[in-house]
Amino acid sequence: MTSVLETRNVKRTYQMGNLTVSALRGVSLEIEEGDFVAILGPSGSGKSTLLHVLGGLDRPDEGEVLIDGTSLYTLNDNKRADVRLRKIGFVFQFFNLLPRLTALRNVELPLTLADVNEQESVKKAKEMLEIVGLGDRVTHRPTELSGGEQQRVAIARALINDPKIVLADEPTGNLDTSTGGEIVRLMQRLNKEKEQTFVVVTHDLDVAENADRILFLKDGIIQGEKKGVGDALH
Amino acid sequence: MRRKHILSMAWQNMKQRRFRTFLTTLGVVIGITAIIGLASLGEGFRVTIQQQMEQGFELNLLTVLPGGLLTGVPGSFTDDDIQNISKIEGVTLATPLIQKSGVKLFSDDKTASPLVMLAVNFTEFWQIYPDRLIFEWGSLPQSTRNDTTVIGYNIQNPIEGWAFANAGQNLTIQTTLERRPLRVENRTFNLAGTLSKSGAAGFINFDDAVFIPIDTAQRLYNTTNSDMIFVRLADPSFSDSVAKAIEKRFEGQEDVRVLVPAAFLAQVDAILNMLQIFLTGIASIALLVAGLGIMNIMTVSVMERTREIGILKAIGARSRTILTMFLTEAALIGILGGLVGIPLGYGLAQVMGRFLFRFSAGIMPRRSLITGTTTRPLSEVSPILSPEWIIIAIIFAVGVSVIFGWYPARKAAKLDPVKALRYE
Repeated sequence: MTSVLETRNVKRTYQMGNLTVSALRGVSLEIEEGDFVAILGPSGSGKSTLLHVLGGLDRPDEGEVLIDGTSLYTLNDNKRADVRLRKIGFVFQFFNLLPRLTALRNVELPLTLADVNEQESVKKAKEMLEIVGLGDRVTHRPTELSGGEQQRVAIARALINDPKIVLADEPTGNLDTSTGGEIVRLMQRLNKEKEQTFVVVTHDLDVAENADRILFLKDGIIQGEKKGVGDALH
Repeated sequence: MRRKHILSMAWQNMKQRRFRTFLTTLGVVIGITAIIGLASLGEGFRVTIQQQMEQGFELNLLTVLPGGLLTGVPGSFTDDDIQNISKIEGVTLATPLIQKSGVKLFSDDKTASPLVMLAVNFTEFWQIYPDRLIFEWGSLPQSTRNDTTVIGYNIQNPIEGWAFANAGQNLTIQTTLERRPLRVENRTFNLAGTLSKSGAAGFINFDDAVFIPIDTAQRLYNTTNSDMIFVRLADPSFSDSVAKAIEKRFEGQEDVRVLVPAAFLAQVDAILNMLQIFLTGIASIALLVAGLGIMNIMTVSVMERTREIGILKAIGARSRTILTMFLTEAALIGILGGLVGIPLGYGLAQVMGRFLFRFSAGIMPRRSLITGTTTRPLSEVSPILSPEWIIIAIIFAVGVSVIFGWYPARKAAKLDPVKALRYE
């Protein structure tokens, strides 16, 4: 297996007023294609920052991020946006759907940005909503959907451009336990079916339960890791 | 991202905020309405004035006046002067004129006053204004008869259906001789004809004039000189060269002024042009205010949509796409405002052209103080909307919208996606 995502000694500090916060203090990791990786850590451990850095949203102060062998932060803004569009899918804790667009339009958005023609993008978006189990919710707006349904739309949106990597930031953090479980199972199913790499940042042990790998992040450093499906925490 | 998609997204955004879009666009509409309204009204005004001016000027004529004041100062042009001017290249005719104001005219028990008396060489002067000086009845006096007169339309027809004099009748012209002591002189003339409506040529209104032979006037006033010289050109293109030649001829001897109608018209045209630019400039302020409105609304919109912008960026929208999206919204507002504002402005100009000038016609003096001419008051101005102005208005509307939209759009494009995603 080849590594699809790699970081080398990534550091990121924030200036918050007079306070300098070191969110990441030198993270090096390698994630292989098709893996379902959970990054586990308490709040404030730097999980979200790491995810943003991995996704090309937040430039690290030091270190390098390689996606598919390409150094992400040596690219210019436009090229990096294109990498986000075509190789990365994001799933957020608060779903981050555009409230004024229907489920279908939300899922279509990355296709629109990628200049796919309307006919094809509608077809693809419908298929994707079908896959995440929302075939009957196509014309609903986010406010008309439950939290779990909204997250399914978000997952459909993340996967619509067939990205290599899906980055999920606390995808169950805003859902009740059973709905969260469904979402995790959906992501795992897609991981298996589409052989896409999933990196899920969470402090929810249930999410980590069935991951191929678990990385423990604390105080901005990877403190350790565990491998193997299902046996990580048991 | 393709332009079509950006356009449809921008349009969606505008549609979803209908009321706000309406208000923002209204600002542009008002600005464009003002610009188009004043511009087309100004253009209509200009053309109307121009037409009236052109009716009042023969472009192939020059008038040589004594320098200083425009009229009233008795000139001292000699026969030699006239001969010299006739020899200038491009001149086909030069003829003298003596002008006296404050003249009274008696026909039996009827009096007409005050009038302008024009003493001319009938044959020559009628060659100067062949198209203008048309006889209502009668004909050009024979040059051998020195006691004939021709009267203008307003003298003969002061009111409808009432005639001042009859053909062949004798009229008495009363003039005041400028001698000390002042002497009033009455002289009898035979009426050779009356003129149709002739209008004003430059500073002389023929409708209020009584014509007598210049020889008679010269004897009466005991002079061999004349007040002005009318010069007819082979072609209006000689205007400048002949005017310069005349000025050169008199240089160092006498202070003269050569009135060049073509130049005068050009000057009036320039003034009217400036007026139009001035009016449109004022109207543009309205559009600039609209631009500020766009900037304001878009800044608010960017703040409101910060999270949305963050999402778009996270899923792969380029900064340029965001920028274009917001600028497209601004441009759409501009186009929309322009498309609504142009017909509205033209309509406004129609209404103003019809009523504003009608009102002002009532308070405008009918008789010009300078020229002593009676002009038909400007009762209506038909606004003129040229295609150039439509294009200018659209460019201006879109330009202002995009320029003022630039700052907020850029702000949106430059948003840090991580911060934007956290924005509540």
